Amino acid sequence: MNQRKRDVIPSFARPLSHVMIRKVACYQEDLLAVIFESLSEFHLPVKDKTVLLKPNLVGHDPQGVMNTHPAVIAATRESFLKLGAQRVLIGDGPAMDRDTQAILESVRLKDFTGNLGKDFCDLNIDDVERVVLETHATRLKELFLPKTVLGVDFLVSMPKLKTHHWAGVTLSMKNLFGIVPGSCYGWPKNVLHWAGIDRSILDINAAARPDFAIVDGILGMEGNGPIQGSPKSAGVLLFGDDPVAVDSTACRVMGLRPEKIDYLARAGTMLGHLDASKIHQLGESMASVRTQFSVLPEFHRLVAP
Amino acid sequence: MKLFAIPRQLNEADETLRHEILTSLRSAQNADGGWGFHAGAQSRVEPTCWAARAILDSQKNTDSEAVRKLIGFLRSKQLPDGSWPTTDGTDSGSWVTSHACALLARIPDCKKAVEAGLQWLCDDYPRDSSPWRKFLKKFQTDTHIVTHNDSYRGWGWTPRTSSWVEPTAFALIAFGQAQSVGLAASISERRQLAISLLYDRMCPGGGWNCGNPRVYGVDGDALVLPTCWVLLALRDSPEHPSRALGIAWLQQALPQIETAGSLAIARVTLENYGIEPPAAKRNLSFWSVQEIVEQGAHVMAWVSMALNNDRHWPSVFARNSAQDGLEAAQ
Repeated sequence: MNQRKRDVIPSFARPLSHVMIRKVACYQEDLLAVIFESLSEFHLPVKDKTVLLKPNLVGHDPQGVMNTHPAVIAATRESFLKLGAQRVLIGDGPAMDRDTQAILESVRLKDFTGNLGKDFCDLNIDDVERVVLETHATRLKELFLPKTVLGVDFLVSMPKLKTHHWAGVTLSMKNLFGIVPGSCYGWPKNVLHWAGIDRSILDINAAARPDFAIVDGILGMEGNGPIQGSPKSAGVLLFGDDPVAVDSTACRVMGLRPEKIDYLARAGTMLGHLDASKIHQLGESMASVRTQFSVLPEFHRLVAP
Repeated sequence: MKLFAIPRQLNEADETLRHEILTSLRSAQNADGGWGFHAGAQSRVEPTCWAARAILDSQKNTDSEAVRKLIGFLRSKQLPDGSWPTTDGTDSGSWVTSHACALLARIPDCKKAVEAGLQWLCDDYPRDSSPWRKFLKKFQTDTHIVTHNDSYRGWGWTPRTSSWVEPTAFALIAFGQAQSVGLAASISERRQLAISLLYDRMCPGGGWNCGNPRVYGVDGDALVLPTCWVLLALRDSPEHPSRALGIAWLQQALPQIETAGSLAIARVTLENYGIEPPAAKRNLSFWSVQEIVEQGAHVMAWVSMALNNDRHWPSVFARNSAQDGLEAAQ
């Protein structure tokens, strides 16, 4: 059953969104303390609930720059359990490599989380349910989405802070491409490219409605992301109850203008807040964490003055 | 004719693992005759085809109740246009049509279903290689993004999208395995274009990924599974330097493989070329049945196939004495 169905509320009728920026210099810091403390500030309704963490798992990543770091995933899982969640699943459907297990081995997730067994869900091969797309951002009328995603009480998008050579940036909203099952659409999920990446991001997010976002920006990627870019240390974790607001804030951290990113500009009218004045920012100040990320020449228009 | 087989001897642990996997696979067949990716999951065409291959390879009798049920499942899922969908609830065909055709080609009395499926494949043209797209591309300024040769044409994962390496390989495999079924004459040109596409999409240094050998001037990394599907699809094609490079890449990659599914398919691929697989970091029996089951019916089937020297496809290459003599002379 689709538990993700939510009304689309126009931005002018939405309450303020909340985004917290935390400085974290490296993955060896006490991530559990930072993440638990940060999540506690949001008073999330997760007690006795099933939570799904959706990290960005892409592929072999010797520099630790492409995938959401397993230490962040593990500390987040532990934090939600400490907050009273009944079960915390981790799930992703990598887009380029069908061997999800190879990616998990490559990032050594098990070394950080222990054996997950059925608490890891390969979303590429999960059972699926048809979801009618009501936002009509693309010409797609429907998408088949994993039942695990549609059935959880609380969905958390956990991207890496990266530039993207088609979409400008890939953050918590673009990260949801990974819930679209390869077993229905292939590797890569090319039907989304043909439907338009920017608009597909809107349709998927409107259908799945993530409840929370945590961006791993401790070490990000700049330039020709999301796979072949260069490492860029930003030293931050971002938390927020509105994926649009989190992604907009992440763009500002990267020295980019969110309103110039097509899908974020559109999302700002119907899925969340883009406007900084509608985002109640907690934690560090923007000025103290802003780190200019380089972009491909096609995206120079995104760079903030 | 004397036949030689190159496969390694299977040890007791291998045999036990295969037996346990097959037992699990058999018990995971749904009442409708199909398999889901996991026990109790929705029946889908793709895992059904893989599970069926593993089970058919393990028994001589294709007339069992389980086989009748799986054939019934596949027949019931075939769409009126001859294709098969990836899941229930859609009326659009997909790449799993290749899997269904390749499987049913070995079952008596399924000729019409296979013919219809192959015809759908013949008629399915990816949109990226349409004349209109090629015309539009002449005006594109961002030609540095990818370096594909758009005069080639393969198959997409879903209709009216782009050609990709794996569905192209699957279609070629299906055509190869269904040779007894009459095919339109035009398909030979289509096959040739598809083979050319596969060579065009090879990663620098050998091997294949999904079909992006170079993006924004940066070389893509090859992956094990796409490389294996391509090599299996090109098995009966004429010798080609890129194919040799792909085999060499796989031989180098195999010792580093850390997952059962990729290792199984890498092994059967090399064995299909008559090449002894190099020693791997782990043997297949390193993984428990439970660990393999958790990865899905397709991985269970791949491991079972790799542990079966009598498999129907991809067969262990058997060389005749004349070939051996010729190689010795060379």
